[in-house]
Amino acid sequence: MATDEELIGAVADGDGRALEQLCRRYERGLHQFIFRHTGGRDVDDLYQETWLRVVRAAGRFDRRRRFSTWLFQIAVNLCRDWHRRPPPEPVDPAGIEDATRDGTARGDAALDARRLLAALPEAQRSVVILRYYHDLDEDAVAEILGCPRGTVKSRLHHAMARLAELARP
Amino acid sequence: MLLSGRALDAGSASHLAACPRCSAEQAAVRALAAYAVPAPPSPAGVLAAAAPLLALRARRAGWRALGRAVAAALVPLPLVLLVDVYLVRAAYGMLQALLPRVLSFYVVFNYAATLTLLLAVTYAMVPIVAERQLRLRREESRA
Repeated sequence: MATDEELIGAVADGDGRALEQLCRRYERGLHQFIFRHTGGRDVDDLYQETWLRVVRAAGRFDRRRRFSTWLFQIAVNLCRDWHRRPPPEPVDPAGIEDATRDGTARGDAALDARRLLAALPEAQRSVVILRYYHDLDEDAVAEILGCPRGTVKSRLHHAMARLAELARP
Repeated sequence: MLLSGRALDAGSASHLAACPRCSAEQAAVRALAAYAVPAPPSPAGVLAAAAPLLALRARRAGWRALGRAVAAALVPLPLVLLVDVYLVRAAYGMLQALLPRVLSFYVVFNYAATLTLLLAVTYAMVPIVAERQLRLRREESRA
């Protein structure tokens, strides 16, 4: 079976079937990442734009690197750009706290995970999604986000503290 | 483990019960685990959107492969021409000693014309071979 790096080399030569194979390998992970990062808004557009950027930059891909890391770097950058746009409905973290403390939430399982993640700053959200949902180690997360490992640990710590605070009944 | 919905092993469960920080985070992690995501869209949409870019890349790759093949084929050309000229001249000189001049010229001219034709056919094959190599490389990378 061809490796991701071989397939991206073929994509650089305009091979559509190689792109399809890559899409099938990463469609689930990439879609879930974008969905959780944006809270389900503009997911299809961002998903498609990620792959278009992959095709555009395929010729510049350094084959000594891992394709998955590169793919998620592109997705993270797109999500960052997306978050810089003015949000259509601003998320108010205080609302989450009120909702959980008022007892309107129906227990742990019913807590709105989407709003919990949305309450985190963008940098912390990326770390939580990559570390916990995608099960990547801290080094891989640091490489994707382009920051030191210590920063990843610190963001994770603060994110979990914040989430624990928000999810407290 | 909590996030992926897997059951905790004994070690993790006892740690969770004993560690105040982990038990405080447990509710948050369980909440995050409930985050369901719909199925991804079919790759057909991505492929359709990427089709013009891929076509452009394929054209560029084709030209690059052709350029490399032609460049590689042109490297030995001066030597081939030099050897051919030497052979034609030597044959003409030898034939002149045996045959009338016009007949020698006719034979050598035919020989030179055949060599030129063979050379032209060989170089005309270069783009076809280059395209075939590119196709084979693509198939290998997909295999």
